[in-house]
Amino acid sequence: MSETKSAIQDLEVITIENLNKWYGNFHVLRDINLRVKKGERIVICGPSGSGKSTMIRCINRLEEFQEGSLIVDGIEMIEDVKNIEKIRKDVGMVFQHFNLFPHLTILENLTLGPIWVQKKPKAEAEEIAMRYLERVKIPDQALKYPGQLSGGQQQRVAIARSLCMSPNIMLFDEPTSALDPEMIKEVLDVMVELAQDGMTMLCVTHEMGFAKKVADRVIFMDAGQIVEENEPNEFFNNPQNERTQLFLSQILQH
Amino acid sequence: MNDFQPIEARPAPNQAVGFVAWLRNNLFSSIANSIVTLLVMGVLAYYIPQFIDWAFISANWQGTSEDACVKEGACWVFVNAWSYQFFYGSYPAEEVWRINLTIVLLIVVIIASFTLPRHIRLKVSIGAWLLLPIVGIAILDGSWLGLEQVSTDLWGGFTLNVFMAAASIIVAFPFSFLWALGRRSQMPFIRSVSIIFIEFFRGVPVLSLFFMGSVMLPLFFAEGTNVDKLIRVWLVLIFFMSGYMAEVFRGGFQAVPGGQYEAADSIGLSYWQKILLIILPQVIKISMPNILATFVMLFKNTTFLLIIGIPEVVQTLQTALSNSYWLGGHALEGYLFVFLVFWASCFSMSVMARRIEHKMNTDKRD
Repeated sequence: MSETKSAIQDLEVITIENLNKWYGNFHVLRDINLRVKKGERIVICGPSGSGKSTMIRCINRLEEFQEGSLIVDGIEMIEDVKNIEKIRKDVGMVFQHFNLFPHLTILENLTLGPIWVQKKPKAEAEEIAMRYLERVKIPDQALKYPGQLSGGQQQRVAIARSLCMSPNIMLFDEPTSALDPEMIKEVLDVMVELAQDGMTMLCVTHEMGFAKKVADRVIFMDAGQIVEENEPNEFFNNPQNERTQLFLSQILQH
Repeated sequence: MNDFQPIEARPAPNQAVGFVAWLRNNLFSSIANSIVTLLVMGVLAYYIPQFIDWAFISANWQGTSEDACVKEGACWVFVNAWSYQFFYGSYPAEEVWRINLTIVLLIVVIIASFTLPRHIRLKVSIGAWLLLPIVGIAILDGSWLGLEQVSTDLWGGFTLNVFMAAASIIVAFPFSFLWALGRRSQMPFIRSVSIIFIEFFRGVPVLSLFFMGSVMLPLFFAEGTNVDKLIRVWLVLIFFMSGYMAEVFRGGFQAVPGGQYEAADSIGLSYWQKILLIILPQVIKISMPNILATFVMLFKNTTFLLIIGIPEVVQTLQTALSNSYWLGGHALEGYLFVFLVFWASCFSMSVMARRIEHKMNTDKRD
């Protein structure tokens, strides 16, 4: 019994069942059901206000929810600070506006988590940080401050900062929406590499090229619900729902 | 295909520079402006020579007693004769090095907290700041160090203003930070206690607080305990200051983008790690101009201590003015001197504040 259970948990890293969330009286997430397997790459799209960011922010408990259950890596999300901290150590997050810490150097931004949360010695943390900075191709910026970097570089640092905590799951909340067109590519390249390495990723984005290239599944949300989910080819070429068709026709027109 | 050829940058046209251009742009830009400028210049031309004559040319500089003031102008002899008391109160002259040493320590700590190498700056300067009031009291009082004890009745003068202000802000700093955190707290009890505290000390005149400190506060102490008057006033200043600074910090907290909290949460920092490592440094940076403004306000408010008979600089001046050997009416000279001393300290603080802001903006752009 326990063996089968753990096998399911190995396979399924995120299980969301009947999740409902309200902001005051506003029902933002309605009966969300989502299962994510290990190594799966999911792209979530939808109009603004559809609840897509709110949903992924529930996964590392930046947002509370009122009903339903959410299990991340076998840890049930309940009102327990210990569990929340455990989940946060397991889940990395990249934000639209990077949210680097402006008073710390790039290297300090990266080593903060490993040193204070994982209690690693400073030298080891710095070694890890440099490894990830190399991976996002900006090791030469280590001693600068975030304000001295371009948006694309900052977002790559933000990705590296999350990776330094060696998460099992990465959440991306519109990682390229605040970037100039010329910088989007450098960030997407890093994300594609990450996807190829087998990281479990949930990515809220409207970069449909990225979705086609790496996603295992595309989820379309509107009005707080999951309207449609499918593998990318089917999703783009043969959308089942009228709402999805309308959305796709609008974003793919240009 | 065409090559992209960047055009070289050219200077902006019509850049009027020089003194005449400045005059025309700022003082004589319209007829009304020119009239106002001329009027103001006329008034200044009338009064400034008189003042200069009084303050410098026919002023009395030499001498030790009132009799030396024979010329018509200012009697700076008065200020000179009382300058020791104005600065040091009744502190014994042979022990005055202790006051000077404390002032030097204060200056060293201020400089150190902005110039030490970055990786040790925070640790060293926080420790130094917290130790400073204790070390200062030990040196000034002397009894802990085996020096001759100088009772607080003898402390006074401008240095007392400085010490009271500095000692209050140092202790108020961590408290006000906690009050500001409390005011933002999700817990209703902590939040209401913080709001009541902050609003009480911001809503009550500082003078009435001083009276409370000197008259009412002793009623709350256990019978027989005699808490020094200066310490009671110190407590009042700490409470007063932390109420004000809590609001300064609250503004700072609100100015830190929500994304900083979320990013700290998302890498798994605990509440206090998040507050101390991520939020506090940014709050201090944002609030620095207001912290210094609040400090200048408190510093000037220390002159109100004369109301409850503490011999700070204005109280000392009044003692000097009513001294039977100096009844020639030197109030103008005395107050001018006090103005000058306060103005010089406050102005240099604001210059320093601007430097600090500039430095913070250049080495940590965001």
